[in-house]
Amino acid sequence: MNQAEVSKLVSKLRIKVPAEPRKLRSPKGPEGRIDKLRKTVTGLIKYERIELNHNRGDEARQYAERLISEAIRYGDCHKPTMDVANYWLLEKELIHKLFKVLVPRFENCNTAYTRMLNAPRPLPSRVDDKVVLELRGNPYPSLVNRQSNNRLLIQNVLLDAAKYDYRQSKYAEMAEKIGQREEAQALEKKSKEPTKESSNESKTPEI
Amino acid sequence: MIPRFINVIRQIERNVIYSLFGQPPRELALAYVHNPPPTPAPRKFSIKDIIGDGYLMAVPKFRRTIERRLKRKYGTPEYNQKILLPKTNILVCKECGHHYESGRLCGNCYKKIESETKEIKAKIVEKLGSSPIDKEVIVLYEGENVPDQPQEFWKGKRIIEMKKERPQWFSKNLLQRSTQEPSDSKDVKPTDLA
Repeated sequence: MNQAEVSKLVSKLRIKVPAEPRKLRSPKGPEGRIDKLRKTVTGLIKYERIELNHNRGDEARQYAERLISEAIRYGDCHKPTMDVANYWLLEKELIHKLFKVLVPRFENCNTAYTRMLNAPRPLPSRVDDKVVLELRGNPYPSLVNRQSNNRLLIQNVLLDAAKYDYRQSKYAEMAEKIGQREEAQALEKKSKEPTKESSNESKTPEI
Repeated sequence: MIPRFINVIRQIERNVIYSLFGQPPRELALAYVHNPPPTPAPRKFSIKDIIGDGYLMAVPKFRRTIERRLKRKYGTPEYNQKILLPKTNILVCKECGHHYESGRLCGNCYKKIESETKEIKAKIVEKLGSSPIDKEVIVLYEGENVPDQPQEFWKGKRIIEMKKERPQWFSKNLLQRSTQEPSDSKDVKPTDLA
């Protein structure tokens, strides 16, 4: 088998890539589709966080991931990579950004370089699904800053208090039951052996 | 039979009586000008003749099938669901307490973040302009001083200053490293134990 291994020819993306490319409607046909995606990729690299329709965002994300991974893999001294960057980035100052800012940022990254989150939509509505597409490590406030594991979160404080109350009430219930059972046993013993009452009384304080 | 009989009588009247007694004198005849009424031009049939002042309403020409009727009434889940159905995927945001659809961002939180992002974006674009971008950008708010971090942290980074206080929800901790530093210990973990 003298076949080249595909994984060594093309860098593997860390996102799910569908088998078929998505068609984006454009009067210019496939060329127009690529133009649209170039604009989107340029915008993503420039602003680091953009809001898009789901179709276009998902499609552009793949190209952006590929561009960054190529840049990391080959560096800025590799002519084909430079050509690709020149083609995909319409504003030429962004080529510097790709190699000087994004490559160092993502060099040791284990996950995908971009993040895509579903934007909220008004309900009820029939509008297209929007997504927020962003580069990781951007300077903006985080979109996913969930502190659900923080014990000082008010919901967690309240839940803890509720759990504590419930447990206390259960303990009290159990103690009451045990007490009743002991009383019943003591009464039974009394009725069976009324003569040994004095000896029992003397033993109880020892326990 | 009868018309023929009438015709025969008329023939007799004309031939026999008029030949015997002659025609009656013209003076006695009644003056009569034959003037037939003008026949109206044949008009085309028009629906207006029937409805007059009234008007016609559209009526169904063909029967709608049950399926079409139901679709028209209730819609289809894929395209347009017309019945109101309870949503079971609504969650409460742990940050702000507003409701949001599961799998999406919380609308209230996102609105805040979006507006702040726009401001920062505008500031960065204004500051960087069209010069080649070769430095990582760091956003500082008013009242935050630079030397919080060691000198190396700021090296090769461009500082963008926002002319306002940092919003309370935009935690300053984001600037700090959240992961642990790699330890210096030289202990080697045993491998292939199980």
